[in-house]
Amino acid sequence: MGGFNTALFFDMKSNREIINLYSLTLRVPIIFWQLLFFVGPVLFMVAMSFFLVKNYRMMEAFEFINWTKMFSKNYFWDSYWFTLFIAFISTLLTMVIAFPASFTLAFRVSENFRRWAIFLLIIPFFTSYLVRTFSWYVILAEKGVVNALLSYINLGPFIMLNTHIGTLVGYMTLTLPLVIILQTVTMANIDKNLIEAAYNLGCKPYFIIQRVIIPLSKTGFIIAAIFCFILSFGDFVAPFYLGGSQEPTLPILILDTTKSGQQWPRAAVVAIVMMVTLFAIAFIGIMTAYSKSFKNDKR
Amino acid sequence: MTYPLVSFKNVAKNFGKMNAVTNLNFEIEKGEFLAIMGPSGCGKTTTLRMLAGLENPSSGEIRFNNRLMNNVKPHERDTPLVWQSLALFPFLNVQENVEFGLKMRGISSKTRQKKSLEWLEKLEVRELAKRDISTLSGGQKQRVALARSLVMEPEILLLDEPLSALDAHLVIRMQAVLTQLQKELGITFVYVTHSQSEAFAMANRVIIMNVGEISQIGTPKDIYRSPTNQFVAEFVGRNNILSGKVYDIKSKIAFIKTNSGNYNFEIIDQNIELGNTLNYIISADLMNFSLVKPKNSNIVNCKLISEEYIGSMVTLFLESVDGTEFKIQMQEREHSKLNIQNGGKYWLSWSKKNVHTLKQD
Repeated sequence: MGGFNTALFFDMKSNREIINLYSLTLRVPIIFWQLLFFVGPVLFMVAMSFFLVKNYRMMEAFEFINWTKMFSKNYFWDSYWFTLFIAFISTLLTMVIAFPASFTLAFRVSENFRRWAIFLLIIPFFTSYLVRTFSWYVILAEKGVVNALLSYINLGPFIMLNTHIGTLVGYMTLTLPLVIILQTVTMANIDKNLIEAAYNLGCKPYFIIQRVIIPLSKTGFIIAAIFCFILSFGDFVAPFYLGGSQEPTLPILILDTTKSGQQWPRAAVVAIVMMVTLFAIAFIGIMTAYSKSFKNDKR
Repeated sequence: MTYPLVSFKNVAKNFGKMNAVTNLNFEIEKGEFLAIMGPSGCGKTTTLRMLAGLENPSSGEIRFNNRLMNNVKPHERDTPLVWQSLALFPFLNVQENVEFGLKMRGISSKTRQKKSLEWLEKLEVRELAKRDISTLSGGQKQRVALARSLVMEPEILLLDEPLSALDAHLVIRMQAVLTQLQKELGITFVYVTHSQSEAFAMANRVIIMNVGEISQIGTPKDIYRSPTNQFVAEFVGRNNILSGKVYDIKSKIAFIKTNSGNYNFEIIDQNIELGNTLNYIISADLMNFSLVKPKNSNIVNCKLISEEYIGSMVTLFLESVDGTEFKIQMQEREHSKLNIQNGGKYWLSWSKKNVHTLKQD
């Protein structure tokens, strides 16, 4: 046994050089691509956040003034907390609204129906998100479809455009189909025996979701939520066109900053803060998603 | 008046146009170890699932202690099931799995803890209480799954081929564990399996099912030695099946003409008349083997086709001149003394007393 293993080990060692050459050659394009279009720009952005702007022109420098200026501004922090807050609300709402649909698709319909439903959920992605957002104007406007319908029962008109409702509707246009797909696929893969086993051990039908389905779907659900959060947090279209940039989110702040006095370095500061935030949230999310056990109310 | 623990009366279940089971009539007594056995697709699992309430019968009545159970939901029954896949919850540790059912019953955490540890102890896996399910071996998972069901202290425990995923030596161990537990606890076990050795090793009574109907109910010995029809005779054990016409009856001896020769057997309580066509069997382990022609009256000359070794037993498959198949079982050490070769011609014989007649299908 030992002899056999040793022989195999040496064999692999002699082949290693060749393997390395192959894998290195294959890796070169992706490494090159990443350096050129990801690492490069990020490093440039970091460097730029230390540049100075004089007479509307950017100058190379190494000053902390952009950072201290931005961090000392109330509007920056207001915008930061607001963006975090509305992205969180969007994630929560999307996850909750998506759940009944995903649950139905995962457990209450035939496999064939599910396949078609998932196919149909992919279709929205064929059209540009910007176009889909604009179509909400017709629906949400003060004299739009929703208010016209509500007027029949003597309600409204409600102002939905240029409010947070508009922003959230926009976010969901982007995230809801994706979240439904992710939740459905997650729940459809649950071992049905586990659900029956819970039922068999006396678990009432409406507790099955909490006791079995959610714990088993933890990984998939957290990943769906991370996607939803990242897309909402970084989105410019919904808060700008449907939310009317009432309270500017960070992406709007970036635009404003670049426009006012060519402050690209300060916009870079905002962008870096956004990236760090998303990195942290995605990292914590993934760690929780794959953490060992899930304790649903301990005793 | 005492009622049986479970009774099935004319129970049928169909899924759409497909009949899973029809005409199920049987009773389960308190404290018995009942095995339901049959080839895949025979309806044995459907029957078990109806006991657990996971399927509702399409017609007929299922009663527990005379209470009609047809539409009682699974969570309102006391019929824990041990699944073929075991279905342990991967997001709970061993002890939390065992406590699950008690928790659903709203039993206090203190009692739950005590009881779960007690049952883990009984199944000799107490030291695994805090372990993750994914870290357990097949045999350990088996014990945890049993503990999770037994902790409910039910009147009846349902088992759906729970040993089918285990290694052969573990199967034997778990069989012993199960029989021991069943005796100790006095709980009724209903055990579904396609394995004859598992059913016969553990059960007091066996139900043999075929294409959705019961073929025979009886003790393992009944079924082994006196199968009532051809299906059971073929499905169970190693039987030689002969069919022929009665051409003479003399002083309680029936003489039969078959394709492979003329034989006779003793009539015990069967109603046999001259001219009857009938099927009868001789168990493979009741056949005699010899190299030279014996002097008995029930003999046949056969060519050896193949051999099969299972443990210390050998089964020889032979064929007579007319193409009738014969089987004989013997000890391996006996077999090795004889210098038997494939293709060789040998003599089989059997006693006129070791014959069992089958009902006509």
